[in-house]
Amino acid sequence: MRLALGWFLLSTLFVSGYALSSETFSESLKITPLPDGRVSTTFSFNTVLEGASPRDPCSLTSQDASQHYILFPLTLGQILREYAVTELHLSLNAGSWNYERWGYPEEKGVGTGAELWAWMGVDESKSVDDRWKGLRNALAGLFCASLGSLDEQRTTSPDRVFFPQGRLPKWSGNVAHQLRHASLPSEHVCTENLTPFLKLLPCKSLSGIASLLNPHRVFDADWHGMGVHVLWLGEAGVQVRLTFQSVMDPLRSSRNFLRNWSLQSLFGHSIERNCPAASSSAIHVTFSSTENPTLTPQPQTRSSTEVRYDVLNVEKPLDIAMQWRDEFKYPSIFKSSLPISVTRNLRGFTQASGKLSLILKNHRSTPQQLIYLETMPWFIQFYLHTLHARIEGHIRDDIISDISYNAAVAHSRPTTFQAVLRLPPNSVTHLTMDLDKAFLRYTEHPPDAQRGWDLPPAVLIPLNFDPNDNNSSHILNESRLGEPIYTSTLLVDVATPDFSMPYNVIIFTCSLVAFIFGSVFNLLTRKFVVLHLDPNRQNN
Amino acid sequence: MSTSKSVSSNSLSAATSGLLISRVVSALFGLSNALKHDQLLSTPLSSYTHLKEGIFLFKNGIDPYSGGTFRHSPLLLALFSVVLPESQKYASLLWTAFDFAGAWALVSIWRARQNVRKTSRDTVVAASYLLNPYVFLPTLALSSSSLQSSITLLTLKYAAEGQASPSLFFLSVLMHIDLSTLTLLLPILLLLISDPQSHLASPRPLTSNLRRTLPLFGEFVLYTAVLSVASTVIVGGIQWIPQTWGATLTLPDLTPNTGVWWYFFTEMFDHFRPFFLMVFSVHLLIYVVPMCIKFQYDPLYATFLLLGVLGTFKAYPTLSDPGLFFSALSIFPEVHPYLRHPIVTALIHLHAALLMPLFNHLWLNTGTGNANFFYASTLVFACGNGAGLIDAVWAGLRIAIGKDTEGYVVVQE
Repeated sequence: MRLALGWFLLSTLFVSGYALSSETFSESLKITPLPDGRVSTTFSFNTVLEGASPRDPCSLTSQDASQHYILFPLTLGQILREYAVTELHLSLNAGSWNYERWGYPEEKGVGTGAELWAWMGVDESKSVDDRWKGLRNALAGLFCASLGSLDEQRTTSPDRVFFPQGRLPKWSGNVAHQLRHASLPSEHVCTENLTPFLKLLPCKSLSGIASLLNPHRVFDADWHGMGVHVLWLGEAGVQVRLTFQSVMDPLRSSRNFLRNWSLQSLFGHSIERNCPAASSSAIHVTFSSTENPTLTPQPQTRSSTEVRYDVLNVEKPLDIAMQWRDEFKYPSIFKSSLPISVTRNLRGFTQASGKLSLILKNHRSTPQQLIYLETMPWFIQFYLHTLHARIEGHIRDDIISDISYNAAVAHSRPTTFQAVLRLPPNSVTHLTMDLDKAFLRYTEHPPDAQRGWDLPPAVLIPLNFDPNDNNSSHILNESRLGEPIYTSTLLVDVATPDFSMPYNVIIFTCSLVAFIFGSVFNLLTRKFVVLHLDPNRQNN
Repeated sequence: MSTSKSVSSNSLSAATSGLLISRVVSALFGLSNALKHDQLLSTPLSSYTHLKEGIFLFKNGIDPYSGGTFRHSPLLLALFSVVLPESQKYASLLWTAFDFAGAWALVSIWRARQNVRKTSRDTVVAASYLLNPYVFLPTLALSSSSLQSSITLLTLKYAAEGQASPSLFFLSVLMHIDLSTLTLLLPILLLLISDPQSHLASPRPLTSNLRRTLPLFGEFVLYTAVLSVASTVIVGGIQWIPQTWGATLTLPDLTPNTGVWWYFFTEMFDHFRPFFLMVFSVHLLIYVVPMCIKFQYDPLYATFLLLGVLGTFKAYPTLSDPGLFFSALSIFPEVHPYLRHPIVTALIHLHAALLMPLFNHLWLNTGTGNANFFYASTLVFACGNGAGLIDAVWAGLRIAIGKDTEGYVVVQE
C-alpha cells in the first residue's frame, strides 16, 4: 500500500513537473571512404525531448519548473534552462578540414579550435550578454574546455551567416532573438573534453555505437572534432545532437597499400551489446558506385552507394569490415565537389602591419555569389579603404557588395566584417586588405607570447544561385544559403615588449620625468645671484 | 663687408630655395608612401592612413567613431571628406602648403616681436622651420601633426599681432585636434592682453589688468562650444569625444612613438594604470601656471617653453612637436648667447635621431632587436628635448642679469 502511494506521489511529481514529455534517443554512425584513401566517420547521438520548448527569457526572474529527464542530459538541460538558450552550437575541432579532398563534412562546423554560437531571446531583466557570459562559463565547466576565454573580446553577432538551424519560438510580448558567436582557434581538443561528452549519453561509452569512441584511437585521427547542437524543432520538441567526427587513415598502418578497414582497426573495439535506451541505432557505410569493395557482415539494406546496418538487430559482437581487392592508387588530381575553393594568407614581414589575402576560385561555369565573414580579435585592425578585388590583375571592386562592418574597439570588441562577393564563372579572384597589428599591454599577451596569436577562420557561404534572379536584390534569407566553408586559421606575429622590464621601465621613465620637472622648477623658483670670485681668496 | 654680407645672404637664399624645391619635389614623388607608416612621423592620432580610413567609412555610411582606429577630430574629417579631395598628390601639395603657412606665421611672429615690418633675419627664421627635418619629415609622411604645428603658429601669430578673435578661434581648433594644447590657453590669453616684444632682459610685473582675460576666455569657450556642436552635428552624436579627446587621456592605442607614454603604459601594472594616466595628464598642466607667473613679462616666451613641454611629454607626439619647439627658438635670438649647453643638446638629438629609426626597424621589421632598444632611444630623445627645455628656461632667466663679467659668476641660491 505504502509502496503504491509512493509511486503515486512520484508520478504526480513527474506529471506536474517539466518532464511529462517523452524522450527518444537514437544513435547513428556514418562511415565514408574518402578519395585520398582516408575514412571519415561521423557519430551522431540524438536525444529529443518531445513537446518541450525552450525557456522564455521573461520567466527568468521567476522559479523555473523542476527538471526530470530520463535520457536527456540533465547537466546540459540545466544550463539551457538557467540561461534561457533557444539554440546552441558548440564545436571543438582539431586540425583543418581539407575541403578540396574530403568535400563537405557531415557536420558543418569544422572551424579549427572551439566555436560556440547561440540564439537567445531578449529580455530586460537579464541581458543577453550576461546570459552569454554565464553560458560560456557553464559550458567551459561542463566540457573542461577554455570556453571561458570566449569573452567580449571574441564575441560577435554575425547574423547574416549563422542563421538558426531549428525554429525560434514566438513568445508573448514579441521577444526578439539575438545571436552571439565566438571562436577560439587556439583551443585544443583532447580526451578531457571527450569524457564529459560521453557522460551526456544515456549509455555512456559502455554499449551501443558510443562504445566505439575510444580516446586512444579517435585522438590519433588526422582530423577530429566534437559538437553539441541544441535546437528547437517546434512541436516535436527540443533536440540535443551530440556529434563526433574524425578522419582516419587506414593506409597509415596498412602494409600492402590496401585501404581495408574494420571497426576493430579504426576504433580498437567492436560493438559488443546494444544500448538499451536507444530507439534506433544504425551504421551507414557509403562508397562510390564505381568501386566495389566487399563488406562483412552482409548488410541488411543496400543501395548502390550506401549500406545500412541496424545495430539493434544484428548478431553481436558486430565488427564491420570493408575490403578492397586492388591497391590504392593515389589520385593525381582531386575533383572538388565544392563550388568554390579558398586560400587565406597573412602577408607582410613587419610586426606593425600586414596584408590579408584571399584567393577564391570559382570552379563552376556559372557566376557564384557568396557571403564572406571575417571576425578578428581587436588587435587586428582592418583598413577597409584598402580592400580590393583583383581578377586576372584587373581591379574589380564591383564584385564586393553589401558590406557590413563593425570596427574593433581597442582592448574590448572584435572586428566583424561581412560582405557579399560575386565571383565570375571559372575565375580566380584575389582579395586583399591592409591591416594593422596593434601593440598589446604586457599583461594581455599569452604566456608563450613569441608564438603569436591564432586568428579565427573566415567563413564563406555560397548562395544558391537563382538564374531567374538577374536583378541584384540581395535578399539574404536562410533558404538561399549553401553550406559554410571554413578557411584555415592564421597565426599572427604581434610585437612583444620585454616582459621582465615593468619595474625598470617605470623607474627609468619616472626618473626622467622627475629630473626634467625638478630642473625646470629649480630654475623657476630659485633666485639668481651674482657671485664675486676672488682669485686671491681661492689661492689661499 | 656689406658686399660679402649680401653675397652670403644671396647664397643663403639660393641654398634655401634649392632645398625648398627639393622638398616640394620629394613631397610630390613617392616618398610619402615609404614614410606614411613610420611611427616616428605619425601616430594613430595623426596618421594619414587612419584619416583615409575614417573618410572612407564616413562616406560609406559607417560611423568612423563607433570603434576602430580613427581618432582624428571630426573637424578634420569634415574638412577632408567634404571640402578637400583626398588624392595623395594633392595631399602632398596641401601638406607642403600647411608648412609654408606655418613658416609665414613664424616669420610674422618674429616681425611682431621685433615690432618691425621686415628684417634681414626673415629668411633664417623661415628656413629654420621649413628646413628643420623634424618638421618636414612628418609633412612628407602626410601626418596631420604638421597641420597642428601650422595652426599652433597661426594662433601665436594672431595673438602676437593682437588679433584676439582669429587667435582664439585657431586655438580652439587646435584643441579639437589635440586636447593637450589646452595648456597653451593661459599664456596666449596673457599674450593677448600684453605685447609680444621681448622683455626678457628687463623683467617687470604684469602691468595689464588680468580681468581683461575674462572676456577673451569667454570667447574661447564660445568658439570651443560652437566647434564641439559642429563636430557633434557632423558625426551625429557625441561618440567622437571618447575616441579623440579620450584617447589622449586614456591611451588606448600603444603604438610606439617618440614620446615617453607608450612603453610606460605597455609595461604598466593594470591596477596602477588609471593612477599613472592621471599623473601623466596632470603633469602636463603643472608647468602652465609657474611658467606664466615667472615669465609674466614675456608671455610669448612662456608659450614657447610650454611648446617644449608638450614636445617632450604629450601623449602622442611625433617628431614635429619637438621640431616646432626647436624651430621657434630661432625667433628668440637674444637668449642664444646664454644657452649653457647647446652643443650637448644638439649631439643628444643627433644621437637619438639616428638611433630611433634604426632601433624601430630592428625591433619591428628585422626582429633582431627588442622593444627595449627603441625605448632606450626614445628616452635619449626625451633627454635631448628636456635638455633643450631646461636650457631655454635658464637662458630666458639668465639674460636679465646681463653679460658675463670677468671674476663674477651667476648662480642660483
